[in-house]
Amino acid sequence: MTRILLLEDDAGTATEILLELAAAGYDGVHRTSLAHARAALSEAAVDAMIVDRQLPDGDGLDLIAALRAEGRRTPALVLSALGSLDDRVRGLRAGGDDYLPKPFALVELVARLEALLRRPEEGRATRLIVGPLDLDLLGGTATRAGRPLGLLPRELKLLAYLARRQGRIVTRSMLLQDVWGYTFEPNSNVVDVHMGRLRRKVDGEGEAALIRNVRGQGYVFDAPG
Amino acid sequence: MLRADPVARTGWRWGGALAAMLVFQSLVLTAIFWGFANDNHRRAIEHGLADDCTFFALTPAEERPEELRERLSRDIHREQFLALFDSRGRLIAGNVARLPAASGAGRSFVAAVAPTELPGRTSDVARLSVCAMPDGTRLLTGVDLDDAEEALRLVWRSLLLALVPGLLLALGVGLMLGRRAAREVDAVRRLTARIVAGDLRERLPVGRRGDSVSLLWAQVNAMLDRLQLLVADVRGIGDDIAHQLRTPLTRLRAGLERGLREAGDQRAFEAVIERALAEIDSLLGVVAALLRLRELEDHECRSRFGPVDLAHLLEDACDLHRPMAEDQGITLVCLVHASTQVRGDPSLLMEAVANLIDNAIKFGPARGRVSVELERRETVAIVTVRDDGPGIAVGERALVTQRAYRGAGATRGNGLGLALVKGIADLHGFTLHFAEEDSGVQLICPV
Repeated sequence: MTRILLLEDDAGTATEILLELAAAGYDGVHRTSLAHARAALSEAAVDAMIVDRQLPDGDGLDLIAALRAEGRRTPALVLSALGSLDDRVRGLRAGGDDYLPKPFALVELVARLEALLRRPEEGRATRLIVGPLDLDLLGGTATRAGRPLGLLPRELKLLAYLARRQGRIVTRSMLLQDVWGYTFEPNSNVVDVHMGRLRRKVDGEGEAALIRNVRGQGYVFDAPG
Repeated sequence: MLRADPVARTGWRWGGALAAMLVFQSLVLTAIFWGFANDNHRRAIEHGLADDCTFFALTPAEERPEELRERLSRDIHREQFLALFDSRGRLIAGNVARLPAASGAGRSFVAAVAPTELPGRTSDVARLSVCAMPDGTRLLTGVDLDDAEEALRLVWRSLLLALVPGLLLALGVGLMLGRRAAREVDAVRRLTARIVAGDLRERLPVGRRGDSVSLLWAQVNAMLDRLQLLVADVRGIGDDIAHQLRTPLTRLRAGLERGLREAGDQRAFEAVIERALAEIDSLLGVVAALLRLRELEDHECRSRFGPVDLAHLLEDACDLHRPMAEDQGITLVCLVHASTQVRGDPSLLMEAVANLIDNAIKFGPARGRVSVELERRETVAIVTVRDDGPGIAVGERALVTQRAYRGAGATRGNGLGLALVKGIADLHGFTLHFAEEDSGVQLICPV
């Protein structure tokens, strides 16, 4: 079972996160201070960490920085209520792999955690075959069971991103961040419109839906079989 | 009590100080005057006494008594003492009964004499000189000092008389000055007391005299203006947050209440919960936007700005919004040519441009055209987002960049979009400009 270290001093937030982790099939290990987290890390290895910034005995970033200095690459997701534009950059510089400002939706947290746990080797494979889909990333063409989909370059990128994360929820802000390369919360449903078009192209008449909209959360790519 | 009242106390202090100064000055003046006058008078007397000695020494011995009597008879004011004594000190002629005990050793001296021709007086103070005559007799010559004593008394009396109105005047002027100074200080004290109590609208009266106090008061008033603005701003932020959150919170509560009452099966409950989640997401969005506005005012994050290609960024923005525009029957045109580098944060700039395009699509006329244009002039790059509509009403342009202002036609959105754009522009040192005649909204970026 995948072990996740949760370093969070607020009991209410921690309970919710632990429940969500359990629901997603993870073994959550909860610690409330830097000292306890260090002890837990030296006892047993964890697969990923969720680390809060403001803890009773210091900044969670210090723990990550210390781990990185030891050469340990355990993926870390940084949480913070500090809410400064600079924090994201500082969090990532300190060795955090992703950064989520509070308040956040639990689904976003889990989606990002999964993305960290299974970081696909993007850009290397030039061809991606998932279920009935055949994506030629170099040639820029995509077919579903031999039927050309006629995707625009951006749509191909979107589909490849989803296909690499099959079975897992991908949120709108993840798409905006990783496919377009901008980190912001759009006012409008721009991402949904793109996804709508992609879905219409990918899922033709009578075909099983490969892309599923999870209301209020994001999208999941489900490969049949 | 006078003492308890700071205004009166200050007045008395000023008055007292002025009066003390006046008294001191009068005393010094009198002393100097008296010193000079006395000295002058003494020298005049001494001169006369020396003349008498010389005169009688030159007078033949046998004529001296006669001459002496002659002199005395001419002294109608009876201020002169003249007497001739033989070598054993007996009176030969004159108006003094005997030689005084002191002799002055050739110099003049002040002593009491026994006059023989002043009725009713046995002793009188005079300045005297005793000089030896060539035949061994001694001449006592002197001038009555009654006059001098009288003059001294006169000086004292006039000093005292003059001091009374002077002191009154000093006290009066001091009280007045003190009261005025204290009143002015007191006005500030009362004002600050009211400000401490929370009333920032109070202002100090600024006279037209243009003295330093007026200047100070004007400065204090300017400071209060600034303070009032800042406080209003802070209150505004609080009001904004409350206002922004109240409506979705009310909807959320009402929806949950109704759901609890009416929802019968699991599907209905799920629907209620989904609506509640959507409301909460919009609440979180408002909180996040307000926090971001606050962050944008903190200019420290400029330090991590890097080069951004505006042309590339605008193409991305168009690419991101084109499907949404097309769905609403709007043609999104991107007029971008050469690449243009500015310093900034790509995500923030994207957010700003996305907001502008979003507004143009939302508030422009249906089936219209929205254009995104990048122009290069000498020192600036100009990003213009324009729709076919009339744009924001001129009267509203100053208001739309404030937090939580919704334009007349706006029914959606949290009213923070343009405030965010303005915040991002300010952070980058760009100018947000509304075109005069059409709907164009421009970001003017120094290159």
